[in-house]
Order: sequence, then C-alpha cells, then structure tokens
Amino acid sequence: MLQFVRGLDFAGRVALVIVVLVLLCILAAPWIAPKDPLSIDLGLRLASPSAENWLGNDEQGRDILSRVIYGTRSTMLATLAALVIGGAGGLLLGLLAAYYARIEVVIMRLMDVMLSFPAILICLAVVAFTGPGFFGLVLALSISSVPIVARFARSAAATVMTQDYVRAARAAGLPDRTILWRYVLRNALPGILVMLTLRMGSLILIATALGFLGLGVPPPFAELGAMASQSRQFLFMSAHVPLIPSLAILAIVLCVNLLGDALRDFIDPRLEG
Amino acid sequence: MSEFLFELRDLGVAIPTAQGLARPVTQMSFGLAAGRSLGVVGESGSGKTVAMLASCGLLPHARVTGKVLFDGQDLLAQSPAARRALLGRHIGMVFQEPMTALNPVMRIDKQIAEPLVTHELLSPAAALRRAVELLDRVGIVDPQRRAHCLPHELSGGMRQRVGIAMAIACEPRLLIADEPTTALDMTVQAQILHLLADLRREFGMALVLISHDLGIIGQVTDEVAVMYAGRLVEYCPTASLFSDPQHPYTISLLGSLPKPGRHGERLFAIEGTVPSPLLELPGCRFGARCQVAGDVCQRTVPALRAQSTEHLAACHHAPLEKLLAQEVAA
Repeated sequence: MLQFVRGLDFAGRVALVIVVLVLLCILAAPWIAPKDPLSIDLGLRLASPSAENWLGNDEQGRDILSRVIYGTRSTMLATLAALVIGGAGGLLLGLLAAYYARIEVVIMRLMDVMLSFPAILICLAVVAFTGPGFFGLVLALSISSVPIVARFARSAAATVMTQDYVRAARAAGLPDRTILWRYVLRNALPGILVMLTLRMGSLILIATALGFLGLGVPPPFAELGAMASQSRQFLFMSAHVPLIPSLAILAIVLCVNLLGDALRDFIDPRLEG
Repeated sequence: MSEFLFELRDLGVAIPTAQGLARPVTQMSFGLAAGRSLGVVGESGSGKTVAMLASCGLLPHARVTGKVLFDGQDLLAQSPAARRALLGRHIGMVFQEPMTALNPVMRIDKQIAEPLVTHELLSPAAALRRAVELLDRVGIVDPQRRAHCLPHELSGGMRQRVGIAMAIACEPRLLIADEPTTALDMTVQAQILHLLADLRREFGMALVLISHDLGIIGQVTDEVAVMYAGRLVEYCPTASLFSDPQHPYTISLLGSLPKPGRHGERLFAIEGTVPSPLLELPGCRFGARCQVAGDVCQRTVPALRAQSTEHLAACHHAPLEKLLAQEVAA
C-alpha cells in the first residue's frame, strides 16, 4: 500500500487526495456537510459564494457545498454497489464460460448481444422498467456492467486455464469447484480488479447521465447529474450553480481513472498501453 | 483381468487444428505390470507427452481413440467423475516445468494437502500435517518452515520435489513423470531421479518416465518404449535396448549419446527433422531419415513385430545385422 503511494507521480497523488475526499463524502456526509442539503431558503436563491455558504446557493437557496457532498455520496454509492453486483455477476459468467466449453457459446453470445447496445441504452431500458430511484439506478448500472466484466473475466480465466498448474490440478483429480475458485479465480483476479477500477469512471459517467435525464435519485435528494440538470437554465446568470456539480463529476471521473491507471501499472506493468 | 496395471491398446490422438487434423499419436500399445517401470523416449514432438496426457483424459480438445486400461478399467470410457476419482488417488503425475506446475498464489502445503482432502477425505488440519511429512519425505530441508512458502520462494529443484510430493500424496499405484528433470541442472537431476527410484521401491509404484534422454532412462527403468513421430518403434527391456537395438532410429539415437573417453569428437546427429503430425505418410515415418530405408519403407507402414520374446521393433529390415548397427553408430 505504502509502496503504491510512493510510486505515484504528482497527478496520481492529487488524484489520490481527491479520491480520499470522495470516500470521506461517502462515509461521513452528515458530519462534514456544513448545512442541511434539503433546507430551502428562497432569500438566498442563486446567491454567490460567501463566508456563510462557501460555494453559494442553488435555485432554491440550498447550500451547494452540502449538496455536492451529499450528491457525491449518492452517485458514488450507486456506482460502487453496481460495481460489486455487476462485477460479481460478470465474473461468475465469465469464469463459467471459460471453464465449461459447452455453455461458453450460450453465455458469450448473450453477452455479445448486450454489448451491441450502448450501455446508456440498456440503462434507460432498465430504468423504464423499474422506475427512477436508487434501486433502479443500481440495477441499471449493474446490468450494463455484466457483459463487459464477463468478457474480460472470460479471457483472463482462459489465459490462466492454459497454465501448467491448472493441468496439474486436474491431474490430481481435484473437483471443478476447487480448480475454479482456488486456481483459476485467484490467479485471474488481480487483472479483473484492475479492470473494474478502470471501469468505474465510465460507470460514474453513466450514473450522472441518468441523473441528468431525471432517471436517477428522485428530487429533492441531491445527485450530481440531477443538480447539473436542474440548474442548467441559470448557466448564463449564475454560472457557479450548474458548473460546480459538473466540475465535481469531471474531477471525480478523472481522478478515479488516473488512480485506476496507476493501480494497473503497479499490479501488472505488462497491461500498460 | 489382465496381467498389466496400465495398458494402452491402439491409442490414437487426433487434434483438430486450423491447418487440419493433427495426429500426434497413432496406434500406440504397451502394457506395464504393477510395480514395474517404463521409460518412454523420443525427441521433441514425438508424441510422448501427448500420449500420456490424452490417456488420462487431460487433453479436452483432442479426439482420443483406442483403449487405456488401468487395473482393467478403460479410462477413456469412464465418466469424468469416475476418472477424477482415479487421478491423483491411484495415478499420480509429475510435470516437466516445476516453475509453472504449481499454483503461484497458494502455499505449498495447501497444494499438497488438496488431493488428500479430496481423495482420502482427511480433515484440512490432518492433511496439512501429512503435507509436512511428505515434504520431509521428498527431501525438503526444514519442512515445517518451508511448508508456508509460496512457490516463487523456492528453487527449481525444490519446486519439483513439491510437485512430486503432491503426486505421491495419496500413494498412487502408478506415477507418470513427464520429463521431471529436463528443466533442472545436472546435479539436481540425479537427486530427483534417485528420489523417484526410492519412492517407487517404498510404495511399490509402477512408473512411467517420459524423457528425451536415453541416459536417464537407462538408469531408472526396467523397460523402454522408443517413440518416433507418434508411433512406437521399439519396445524392449532396457538392457536389451542398449546391447541389441533393433530399429535404425534407436541405433542412431544411441549413436548420438556422448560416451566417456571420447572427448573432442563430434556427436552423431540424425539428418533432417521429424515429419509434421499433420502429414499422412504411406510408409515408415522414419523413412526419409533412415540410412537403411528401401522401397518397401516408402510404401507400407512397418508393424511392431516381435524380434525375440521380449523385444519388439517396427522396422521392415529388423533384425539388423550387428555389423550394420556398428556402422550406423560409428
């Protein structure tokens, strides 16, 4: 861990700091937010940044800093949950496809069908089915991640499967279950984890895009994409109101990707490029 | 019930490739009695390893024909579950590359314990204790401490010992060792060969030793099977192979061994290369490189015939006169 931090370049360190701040938002939003993100004060509509409200107030006079903190939390929670659920689902399908040649065709062609649709389209379809809300958002992001993770996991597992130690495990008569979990998965996992962190950036973008379209967490709850969308008509009057959540999205995605790249180089330099 | 513990009958292996159907092994037959040892020799690409892997069902993409009898049961006709119950329990395998044959992210005692838990139904704790005993038995110094190592913390020779410990964990009746010493340096080679010979005596195991090195085979095994381009060309007791080789290929192989007291001489090399397993030849597969080949060798495949009671060779010209043998070897 310390070795990883030491190996980071300047951009990597900045990214690390911001990602730590984001984690702080997720874990401790109620304690670090200066104001209640939902309390409306129409007297402070579109107010500029001040000593009282560091990042100013939005179109309903709510404290923008607090809303960004809470918005980051809901965006990131949805993304992380989807990463875990979709990642686990994709991993399982990919491993099974790599291990059992008989079901490979069925699984991977199904994944190809899903991959032929843009992820955002799949998400729209899922949200149309479940209705907007946190649950729908997580489900949509998870489902759109499954084929991408499955395809990567299958190829990573297939590479491990050609190794001598898998053949040795078969020659020792070990059951499929043991070979799959203790031999194939444990050797394919580092690459898959790196891939998941790199995948996280695009998931955040999809999550905020859904929020922007009003398909994420319903108002009045704060969500970065929804905040940018609701205040975009004030772009020329009070630019800070839509710009701050947009910049937050930009910064988070950029930093997550930078850190993912650094993690990839750290774990397996051969994957670079 | 046959007299053999392990018997191949007309084993054929065909592997579909982009260039067509490759046949790395054709019509391979031999029988090995319990407790005996057999060396399988041949140069790279002669099908030694493929034959052994295929006979245990470890080549999922290959089409395997013929019969592989272990203790009277046909391994190829068995269900995967039944075959798995035999592998690791009654048939142990040691692989060529100790660097890659161990799971890099698993402690070595756990790897050795795995087959014990699967086949002997030992508790994990008991299996780990047994793993330490096995490490000690295969000559790992300070087994208690080494047991917690990951494979990359061990040298090549030690890893091969771990591989052997894993293969003999359940005291199998047959051990198949695929070039177990090829990747090791000379002194370690000798140690590993001694270890295999000791273990064989101790457990009464039958041993199939695959090697391209006649010197190694000569030290360890009772019988020898010489393979060339996927076919068995000679099969006989080891002593008889060295004193009275019958097949021109074997004779050439013996001629290319370094001999003590003859420094500075160029070693004999066989001209040409092994024909591709994609090619179907009408005649003897060694014909193009053979010094005694005649017309008949181009037309028909020589069958494996008995030259004497225990000595089989697949050559139209066998038995070759002693004189000719000396000529080729020189």
